[in-house]
Amino acid sequence: MRVTSSMMLASTLRDLNSSLGRLQKTQTQLSTGRRITKASDDPTGTANAMLIRKQLNRLDQRSRSLADAAGWLETADSKLTSGLEVLARAKEIAVRAANSGGLADGNARLAMATELRSIRADMLALSNSTYGTRSIFNGTATGATYSAAGAYLGNSAPVIRDIGPMNNLAVNITGPQVFGVAGGPVGDMFEVLERLATAVSGGNDAAIAAEHANLDNATQVMAAATVDIGSRAATLDGMRSRALDEDLRLRTELSGIEETDLASALITEKAQENSYQAALQVAAKILPPSLLDYLH
Amino acid sequence: MTGISSLYTSLSGMQAQSKVLDLTGHNVANAATRGYHRQRAELQAVSGGTPGLFSGVNARNFGVNVISVTHSFDALFEARSVREEASRSATSLISSTLSQLQSAIPEPSDTGLASQLDAFWGAWSDVATQPDSLPVRTQLLANATSLTNSLHSTAASITALKDTAIGQMATLAGDVNGLAAQIATLNKAIMANPNASLDLIDQRAQIMTSLSKLTGAIYRPSQGGQIDVSIGGRSVVSGTQSFAVDGAGGTLRWASDNQAVAVTSGDAAALAATITDIVPRYTAALDGIAAALVSSVNTLHTAGYDQAGATGRQFFDPAAVTAATITLSVDVKNLPGNIAAGAPVLPGPVAPGPLDGEQARAIATLAEAMTGADSQYESLIANLAVETSVAAQRADLQDQVADTARQQADSVGAVSIDEEMANLTAAQRAFEASARVMTAVDDMLGFLIEHTGVVGR
Repeated sequence: MRVTSSMMLASTLRDLNSSLGRLQKTQTQLSTGRRITKASDDPTGTANAMLIRKQLNRLDQRSRSLADAAGWLETADSKLTSGLEVLARAKEIAVRAANSGGLADGNARLAMATELRSIRADMLALSNSTYGTRSIFNGTATGATYSAAGAYLGNSAPVIRDIGPMNNLAVNITGPQVFGVAGGPVGDMFEVLERLATAVSGGNDAAIAAEHANLDNATQVMAAATVDIGSRAATLDGMRSRALDEDLRLRTELSGIEETDLASALITEKAQENSYQAALQVAAKILPPSLLDYLH
Repeated sequence: MTGISSLYTSLSGMQAQSKVLDLTGHNVANAATRGYHRQRAELQAVSGGTPGLFSGVNARNFGVNVISVTHSFDALFEARSVREEASRSATSLISSTLSQLQSAIPEPSDTGLASQLDAFWGAWSDVATQPDSLPVRTQLLANATSLTNSLHSTAASITALKDTAIGQMATLAGDVNGLAAQIATLNKAIMANPNASLDLIDQRAQIMTSLSKLTGAIYRPSQGGQIDVSIGGRSVVSGTQSFAVDGAGGTLRWASDNQAVAVTSGDAAALAATITDIVPRYTAALDGIAAALVSSVNTLHTAGYDQAGATGRQFFDPAAVTAATITLSVDVKNLPGNIAAGAPVLPGPVAPGPLDGEQARAIATLAEAMTGADSQYESLIANLAVETSVAAQRADLQDQVADTARQQADSVGAVSIDEEMANLTAAQRAFEASARVMTAVDDMLGFLIEHTGVVGR
């Protein structure tokens, strides 16, 4: 094949250009720190990277939801625990009233009844506890949980939080589940405490004994509710630490897909730079000479 | 017998070598001219007709004659090179169009549509957690607005590509008409003197290459050194007549009868593909995403209850289902309290309490829907990425093919300085030698004239 100087020039230019193009690509990877600057650089990598980013965003959103759930459960847990301590005091009074067997001293009886009523008021105040702007024991209703008279004002709806993919948790517990169902022969805790106070002030031994038993049952109900909340909180802790691990794993994977491996990119860049310089030197040597230089 | 005629023999030699020198000078001057094919003089020895019956070895010779000047133009290689250049134009334009389209929808990114969709679903989840909070509801509306704005601007960028292509098609038609007219003019000039118009032929070949790059036109030689050029089987230059095309509205049409021009290669084919295939396809995909978003969110939203306990509110305007028009409905625009976060209590359905966020939670899980907006968007990006990557590879490959074809054509037709220098030396020596012969003949004649018939003087 006949080779002319214009052909050599054209092919040298083309080859230099493609060498420079490869060098530029490596340089872009190094200066942006990313292996994938546009989707067509690596279509499968892009698809994977998009999925991972979506999962990371979900995790972010779920961690807000998890934090909120944790707040609900912790508030309920601490309130119920302190409620149980107050109830222990009520039980002490009931035991003393039962053992003293018809206290002769009306004032002592009155004092015990007053204390029982104040314990009832404490429990009412506790039932109206809030987390942020929400009352935690009245389901999804607004306003106070219990009226001053002890009527339940809320509803029985669960408050649900997403704690994992396809996994959610009810983070509330309703008034009746903690304090018992009102009405009926026994009634809820407030009714029991009220009746116990009346029995103690009236010195009615039989009533005191009956209400004491009811008080024990009501305490059991509240203790069971506390355990329920506690176990839910434990599940939540597990989910939270799993979410943190998942976040770390996803970020590592994303970095592996998207980001430049600096070491190999630097070595590639050096090699391409060398080959480009070699090409330039060769071009400078072979392009200029022609027969003209040798004819006299 | 050496005679005056020998002088003319040498003269013919000197004249022929002058012509060769002249041509060598022409070649060297045009060594870097694009589209120039080297020219050679064809020399032929001249003998004197039929020799006389008894002339024997005294047959006359009259030297050398330049019978023609040819140029080294390999029709096959040139035609192939023109065809490959047209393909190169087409593939590189398609590749760059797809790159532009891809940069209108940048992924993977922290600011692209995917992250806006995630922020949108995340805001629904926040409303589910705190349905009574005004700032959270307002944030949802803000995220929704920025999502719709992103969709609008992406759709606008894609449509702008189409508009640019339509404008370029009109310019292309004007260029085609100009080039066709030039070819017709050159045809006329070449026909006037086919043997002496080599440079005009080269010029015409260059214009033909440009025309082919624009439209994929092919040519056929016709009589008198002319060429007939056709696009898609229909003639655009026939002898000295050229036919106009018109490119208004984005389709190339013959001006005489408004039929569409059947382009299969060149820039025109790439522009037509952009206008009728690439842009509509991706616009439709984006519109599909918007429509899925509107219908899936609205279906759940209309069944939900807002803060006042009202139901049947639309979140997105149900009449605006394309990516360019999607917008919040008047029910919720600037009215965060009207966002239906509460789920109906079954059976009934009846309104739940104002603190119920279950419908908002259901809307937030739309993010995982198998055929929802998110997965449609992922498909769009994947398809676009693959298509762009394939087009880029095609363009690279076609570059190499076109370069090889060009090289083959150049191998025959390009000027080699070394070769011309050798020819120059040869022609120069031959000229000097002929001059020397002429001098010798002149001397001999002079001797004859001076010294014959002068006995004793």
